[in-house]
Amino acid sequence: MIIAERKPMQEILGMTAGMKKVLVLGCRGCVAVCSAGGDKEVSILSSALRLGRKMSGEKIEVLEETYVRQCDPEYLEPLRESGKDYDAVISMACGVGVNFIADCCRGVRVLPGVNTTFYGANLSSGEWKEMCAGCGSCVLHLTGGLCPVARCAKSLSNGPCGGSVGGKCEINPDVPCVWQGIYDKLTYLRQEQNLREITPIRDWRPAGHGGPRRRIREDLLS
Amino acid sequence: MIAGSNLEYVLSSGEFAVTGELGPPKNGDFDVVREKARILRGHVDAVNITDCQTAIVRMSSLAAGLIAMAEGVEPVMQMTCRDRNRIGMQSDILGAAALGIKNLLCLTGDHQKFGNHPHAKGVFDMDSIQLLGMVKDMRDGKRFQCGEVIKNYEPRLFLGAAANPFADPFEYRPVRLAKKVDAGASFIQTQIIYNVDKFARFMEMVRDLGLHEKVYILAGVTPPKSLGMARYMKKFVPGLDVTDDVIKRLQDASDQREEGINICVDIINRVREIPGVAGVHVMAIEWEEAVADIVSRAGLSARPEPRGIEPCLISSGTIEEVVSKAEEQIRAELEKQVDQARTEAAASRDLVTKEKEKAAGEISELKSQLDRLKDMADREEIKQKQLAEELAKTRAALEKARGVSEAGMVCKSIVEPQGVAAEAAPVSEIVSGEALSLREQRALQSINKGLEALRKILGLTEDQLEALKSFFEAEFLLHMGEGQPAAAASAVPEPPRVQIAEPVPELEEAVEPAAEEVAAAEAEEMSVEAAIEEEAPPAGVAEEPMPAGIPPCPPELSPDEWKRKWVVRLTARGNVLLHKREVQEAESAFRQALKIDPGYEKARTGLERAGKREAVPEVPEEKPASPEAEKEVAPAVEVEELPEAPVPESEAAPPEEKKPEAKRAASLAVEAEGVEISTLELAEEAATLMERAGSIPQDMIMEPASGVIQEVVIGDGEKALTVGGSSALPFHLFEGDMPNSPRIAYEILDMEPEEWPEPLMKYYSDVASDPVAWAKKCVEEYGAEAICMSLVSTDPNGVDRPAGEAARVAQSVVDGVDVPVILWGCGNADKDTETLREVTNLTGSKKVCIGPPTDVNYRTLGATAMAFQLPVVAATPIDVNLAKQLNILLENLGMSLNQILMDPSIGAAGYGLEYTYSVMERIRLAALTQQDDKLQVPFICNLGREVWKAKECRLPSDPLMGDQERRGIMMEAVTASTLLLAGGELMVMRHPKAVSLTESLIRGMM
Repeated sequence: MIIAERKPMQEILGMTAGMKKVLVLGCRGCVAVCSAGGDKEVSILSSALRLGRKMSGEKIEVLEETYVRQCDPEYLEPLRESGKDYDAVISMACGVGVNFIADCCRGVRVLPGVNTTFYGANLSSGEWKEMCAGCGSCVLHLTGGLCPVARCAKSLSNGPCGGSVGGKCEINPDVPCVWQGIYDKLTYLRQEQNLREITPIRDWRPAGHGGPRRRIREDLLS
Repeated sequence: MIAGSNLEYVLSSGEFAVTGELGPPKNGDFDVVREKARILRGHVDAVNITDCQTAIVRMSSLAAGLIAMAEGVEPVMQMTCRDRNRIGMQSDILGAAALGIKNLLCLTGDHQKFGNHPHAKGVFDMDSIQLLGMVKDMRDGKRFQCGEVIKNYEPRLFLGAAANPFADPFEYRPVRLAKKVDAGASFIQTQIIYNVDKFARFMEMVRDLGLHEKVYILAGVTPPKSLGMARYMKKFVPGLDVTDDVIKRLQDASDQREEGINICVDIINRVREIPGVAGVHVMAIEWEEAVADIVSRAGLSARPEPRGIEPCLISSGTIEEVVSKAEEQIRAELEKQVDQARTEAAASRDLVTKEKEKAAGEISELKSQLDRLKDMADREEIKQKQLAEELAKTRAALEKARGVSEAGMVCKSIVEPQGVAAEAAPVSEIVSGEALSLREQRALQSINKGLEALRKILGLTEDQLEALKSFFEAEFLLHMGEGQPAAAASAVPEPPRVQIAEPVPELEEAVEPAAEEVAAAEAEEMSVEAAIEEEAPPAGVAEEPMPAGIPPCPPELSPDEWKRKWVVRLTARGNVLLHKREVQEAESAFRQALKIDPGYEKARTGLERAGKREAVPEVPEEKPASPEAEKEVAPAVEVEELPEAPVPESEAAPPEEKKPEAKRAASLAVEAEGVEISTLELAEEAATLMERAGSIPQDMIMEPASGVIQEVVIGDGEKALTVGGSSALPFHLFEGDMPNSPRIAYEILDMEPEEWPEPLMKYYSDVASDPVAWAKKCVEEYGAEAICMSLVSTDPNGVDRPAGEAARVAQSVVDGVDVPVILWGCGNADKDTETLREVTNLTGSKKVCIGPPTDVNYRTLGATAMAFQLPVVAATPIDVNLAKQLNILLENLGMSLNQILMDPSIGAAGYGLEYTYSVMERIRLAALTQQDDKLQVPFICNLGREVWKAKECRLPSDPLMGDQERRGIMMEAVTASTLLLAGGELMVMRHPKAVSLTESLIRGMM
């Protein structure tokens, strides 16, 4: 899932300075699951905005709404017109939602309410961790299901660097060394051969270095 | 051969290889790399040039490698994957190969998080193994990574990689090493080895995989420079296994550096025994000097003659070397020619002298001949006179006879005398003048003969002879023979002049073609000519004895200069004495001066004035000497520039008589290398201010203070220091009292200083690693009255030495010297509290002053100080109110104000000194004139650390900025002087010469 976190309040107050009427628009997709931009977070942000403005002695009208998703055009349909009534729409969806509103709704000013951070898993309530880099050419079958691209500080392909000590990464003792994990896993799975073979230099185009990525499925195109 | 590098030659020959490491500088300084390369040259077979190690920006490995190569050191270029993608890397690889680089070490690179740009985007397009594969494929497959063919000149590089036997998973490490070998590595350099046992286990696994047959493994070693470094590596460098044994060996060592080298040599000796180890990689990080020592002690100093180094850069050093060699050759050649010319000249001069003597002989012979002729002529004259007389007598007798008797008888008798008369005729002619021609002719004949002889001897031309001849004739006619000696004397020196002139053009001819070859030789030529021109005179002058009463002339001055200097000095002294109404002495000084130089106007007027018993008019008291003398003998503050010369002016006892100072002066003189700041002495002020003020009413210049500064006693026993107590502005002795003169404490650190510049460090380098020895040196050799020990090693952001350990070091310093010790914390409030509490627990109430309590930890530190009745240093950011507030807080705590020294925060000259000055002055004015009793506390000024971190003290000597040491000393002394004038009572300084200068200022002012 896409993990996001709300932008600092000061930043949001700054970007809405002088505005009289705004819409805080949530999303019930990933950001709702990771507690960054669902219904609950929408009302929290709206109250905070009103309070913040009240403290500085300015008036603001804040309206709240949450869509099922912001990354499908049909859900954004009502916003095309209603969005124009506001000085700005603060989208609490991931960056995809913000972009998509900007693309679809001409004349609507859209602002990001969250920072979109990574693709991660929910380890426990309140803790998320990066698990995938969306690099576009998965090697997990060779690495025991653990991703060296997303989870190694140097995205190494051929084993741990000299800084791996006691299963920890050299950059921070709180970060586990994913290559230690891969080594343990492959040894356990009796796939040591994978550790001996040289992984060739990657093609980074699927990871986005070949330009903005796009996917087309002819059979589904209407 | 893969690439034909020296390293490859050495390794493939089976020789045990030694490689070194060279970290390029964090700037663009060519010379840094060159110097490091020169230090390593000859001791190693190749040198790794690191590629921005620990992700800190440095000069590129390729550029630094070229500089090293130009110095004859083979580089191993390092390349990391952190900063470049495959396009940048392949481009640099092609460039490196083109420029003659033959070794490449392929690394993944340290993560950018560790460097000075942690916000940078790490590239990591590939990892080290993939990099090895890529370069190998470029070399052997002649293909770029994309598959495109490299048509010509594929990069021929001897490839290396790194391995860390101490990282995890341990069992996987040899396997990963195998991957590197498969990918293309020909040699491996390992991580630093301290745990030799673990490395041996690693090597066993490596051998099991047969890798030792496929790749040369160089064991990485590093001499630990200090215990601190070893601990740091153990604690903070992931993947480095520093054993407890190493830590213990360093801990027990009296000389940690020495022990560090020993440890390194021991490790080399042990790893050499492990099968499969092909060499060592010595990484003496920022300690390149140690490599030679390590290599030689390990018995590896005989390195094979380097092969395969083909520098494309020629360093200016090499050019200089070649040029200087050529210059030397030409100079030798020139000197030979000059010597030859000189001997020829000398020979011809000898010849001339001989001929001169010969000529003189001839001339004297001629002269005697002439004299003889003259005598002959004289004799003839006398004879003729006699004859004439006889004739006259005969005539008279004849007349008589004629008158008396017959003519016949007479006629007969006349016939005889007539013959006489006929003969006598020429005689009468001579007398009348015409007859002179006879004598003249004879004389001239002789002269001509003589001249002819001269001509032959001297080789004169006909014309010259003719001229000489006519000259002689004229002379002769004019002076009737007497002029001859004069003429001869003036004529003879002429020919030698012609002769002497000849050697010079010859010499010039010899010198000129050489001069065209090397421009530098021109100067030499000129000096040679000059030398010939003034060949003889200087020797004569030098031997001239000195007039009585002048000390021997120092070698750097000529006797005349020295005489003049001495006269000026004597006169200045006379003026000073005269001013002090010591007329007799003044007179004798003037007389002495006049004796040496009777024409010296100033001495004469001085003497006259002394006669009239009047003081030096006009010229103010501070300038007793004449303006001219000022240059030689600075009047008020006399800086003695000629150390050997006595100091006649100084009224105070000369420094040699004071024992500790003499000792210090001696030791400073020994250490001073080219820096001529010796002890200065202030001339005593002759007249009091009141005298000088003359008729100005007293209340206009006097502003007596109503407050008194507290007296604070530091230390106990005989050597205790009392500071403060003054009731007047600093040195305003006419307004009030200053019972205790300001004092100076020497600053020492409790660990080896890392950033002290060399001109300062050289005084302490022998003791820097041992605080006790350091303190003792300050006291015993430099005469320190107090020691200020900075506990920098306790800084949690630095070495973070535990409080207990630091306290023990501090205690041994306190016990080791008998002077008071100020213990100055690292500035971290919590840590200082902990450390100083530990210290006081150990030292009790003994002679210690602690600090600095700040507004954060004043409670705890103050309580500690109160418990042992110790004085404290109260430090505040530079501000009157903050200083006062901390004093109040400490007083509220129960401390007495006479236990507090204020540290107002110091700025060095050029770094905020004026701000410090004005705040200190305001504090002092408030204390003295506004009875602000909370500010009536002495100042302590910790200025050494501020001064010596200033850029001006760190820049090396250059023609614009002058000598670095002199500059630093002056910076420190000037800062101290200013702070003294602002009211500072206790200075904390570093450089012994700056201290000595400042002390003499204090002595002069008190």
